[in-house]
Amino acid sequence: MSILETRGVTKRFGGLSAVDNVTIQVPEGSIYAIIGPNGAGKTTLYNCITGFYPSDEGEMLFQGESLVGLSPDRITKKGISRTYQNIRLFPAMTALENILVGAHPQLKSNWFDAILHTPRQRAEEKKALEDAQDLLNFVGLKGKGDLFASGLPYGEQRRLEMARALANKPKIILLDEPTAGMNPNESVTMMRFIESLRDELGITILLIEHDMKVVMGISEFIYVLDFGQLIAKGTPGEIQKNSQVIESYLGRGAA
Amino acid sequence: MKENIKQGTRSGMIFGIVLIFIILFGLTTTLSDIIGDFLGFNSNSRTGNTGGLMLLFAVIALWAGSRAASFDKFNLKSTLISGASVGLVMGIFVGVFTLLVGTLDAANIEMRDYLVQLNRQSIQFLLYGRSLWTGTLISFGILLVFAILGGLLAYFLEEWKAGDKIQKRYILIKGKVLDSDLAQRYQNNPRSRWISYGILLVIVFLIPQFLGKYWNYAMGTVGIYVLMGLGLNIVVGLAGLLDLGYVAFFAIGAYTAGLLTAPAPLPLQIGFWPVLIFSIIMAAFAGILLGIPVLRMRGDYLAIVTLGFGEIIRVLIRSDMLAPYVGGPQGIRDIAGPSLFGILFNEKAYLYLIICAILLIILFTNYLQNSRVGRAWMAMREDETVAQAMGINTLYYKLMAFATGAAFAGLGGALFAARNQYTGPADHTLMVSINVLSLLIVGGMGSIPGVIVGAFVLKGLPEILRELDLYRLLVFGGLLVLMMIIRPEGIWPAPRRMMELHDKVDGVPPEDSLVGEEG
Repeated sequence: MSILETRGVTKRFGGLSAVDNVTIQVPEGSIYAIIGPNGAGKTTLYNCITGFYPSDEGEMLFQGESLVGLSPDRITKKGISRTYQNIRLFPAMTALENILVGAHPQLKSNWFDAILHTPRQRAEEKKALEDAQDLLNFVGLKGKGDLFASGLPYGEQRRLEMARALANKPKIILLDEPTAGMNPNESVTMMRFIESLRDELGITILLIEHDMKVVMGISEFIYVLDFGQLIAKGTPGEIQKNSQVIESYLGRGAA
Repeated sequence: MKENIKQGTRSGMIFGIVLIFIILFGLTTTLSDIIGDFLGFNSNSRTGNTGGLMLLFAVIALWAGSRAASFDKFNLKSTLISGASVGLVMGIFVGVFTLLVGTLDAANIEMRDYLVQLNRQSIQFLLYGRSLWTGTLISFGILLVFAILGGLLAYFLEEWKAGDKIQKRYILIKGKVLDSDLAQRYQNNPRSRWISYGILLVIVFLIPQFLGKYWNYAMGTVGIYVLMGLGLNIVVGLAGLLDLGYVAFFAIGAYTAGLLTAPAPLPLQIGFWPVLIFSIIMAAFAGILLGIPVLRMRGDYLAIVTLGFGEIIRVLIRSDMLAPYVGGPQGIRDIAGPSLFGILFNEKAYLYLIICAILLIILFTNYLQNSRVGRAWMAMREDETVAQAMGINTLYYKLMAFATGAAFAGLGGALFAARNQYTGPADHTLMVSINVLSLLIVGGMGSIPGVIVGAFVLKGLPEILRELDLYRLLVFGGLLVLMMIIRPEGIWPAPRRMMELHDKVDGVPPEDSLVGEEG
């Protein structure tokens, strides 16, 4: 059964259909990829799924439940995390605080607990801090918890953003170009890391990626978008031979 | 050499213009009086305290001159040239100005219509009660001589510091003390923090014992501003919601306390303590009510809408329409003051009450800051869109921040009304909102000690410089501009804010070193 599904999702900006009648199905425990040229509507599709844009038509289903009309925070609480193409950490908060914000839906303490510093709140806070520390170690940022996010090098910021997304204990994580701006070595490390998320934590992964080596290396199934439309889908082997995909990437003469 | 003159001229022009500005605002008279009184100079009833004026000019010239010493390489010649050019230009500016107004005055041309502070008496004062040229030359001479002296002073001070053995010994001793067994044990002891807090607490509680009636009263006002500052700090500093109508919640707190305890216009006369709690709840409730329609807006729009809300509340409590219920322009009199066992609090007891309230609020703020709620607020301030993607219900948390800030202001308002046993529309003007926001900016946004320092600077200093009261707004504006230029993060900022404003500068070598490499 697919954990995440879109049925004919359409999003228009003025006369332009940024996402046009897109249907995808992501099975639980898989690594799926969405590729396509710049401006193909990949990130817009993410924004529709996570509730930032209301879709004009169609519906999104998460574990069989519709996500239509839910606000982004409600959708996140259901167990969908995401990262951003251009890293969007909370710059003036420390690495640990960033992760703790990510853990927000997991925590229960409310205003009264906080202001009165109740034993319940203290216990929860202690546990949350330990978990955040574990996550920090998991993404390889041990000992950097007290540094401000904006002070970390680029690669570490990417991993911190992942840790923050993981703190929500998601069932599926939507990655937006996780290896952007990385050199080949770093990309390989990131690939292994993404695989470990699925293998060790059992998290389903959907990723947008431009680096073909990464896409072909780790994804089990690929959807190809162009001008908002789904133009192809298949295993990496099939996509590599698909003439329509080659055309959309390289132009008409190439196919 | 050329550089010295150029720099000196520029600095002299700035100081000259500032001096003229000060004279035009009539600040010279007040400052001279303060200085003169302090030193016990005889004040001439006809012209005012001219000795004070001379001293004022001398002090400013000393300052300008000593600044000039740091323009260039540090040697005696360049210091002299810089100091002299600063003094010369400053002297010419003030001299020409004095000559001009003196001549115009002598020709019986009335300047008061345009420049309020320039009347015959103040011009006579500027000339030290002497003739036109003598007066001008005295000013010119003082400015020139003291600017040069200032330069020399700075020069010799620097020389002295460079070769100073006392300073070196001080550093040595300081190092020894810090390394000593006791200091180490103190630093390594987790309880030492609590001991420091304890000592601080004892000092804070001893302070009212040593202050007179007037100062206890004045510090009470500062304390109320600390309370409001702590509240607005949550709204603006933590959650990043710019609220310019914060006075509204202060007014609601004050009026709730007033209406429920005073005999008129509503004959309720409930006691102070239960009403205090009720005022806080009412203010928080108002915060939520205002928040629901308004908090969908972001940034500037929110600032404007809250500004409007603040004014609406003020106009409402002032209006004739509501006068039968809230007292109208006259406000509410005979509000119940805080009392225990039938004894009404005096200024000292009241100050203790305020201190307790502040400590409690600091504790609460501290707990909130380091909790799930505080982190959600900070995340919203940093990036609202992403905060929502983290599962934070932004509207709910904004309302919470608004209500919390409003509750603190309501507490401040109730305490304020109870102390004065009166409250009226004049207590709740836009200036209150601006004051509170300014004290946050001056003290350091998002920082609890910053709020306290800011309140002392903006509400405490004017009490000390009571005679400068007329110029409070002028000083205020100047201070804010100055702060933004030299220390935009505030006097005692939160570490994260300091980082925000300064991290871009880090890692870039100063221009000089780049030039040096080329040469």
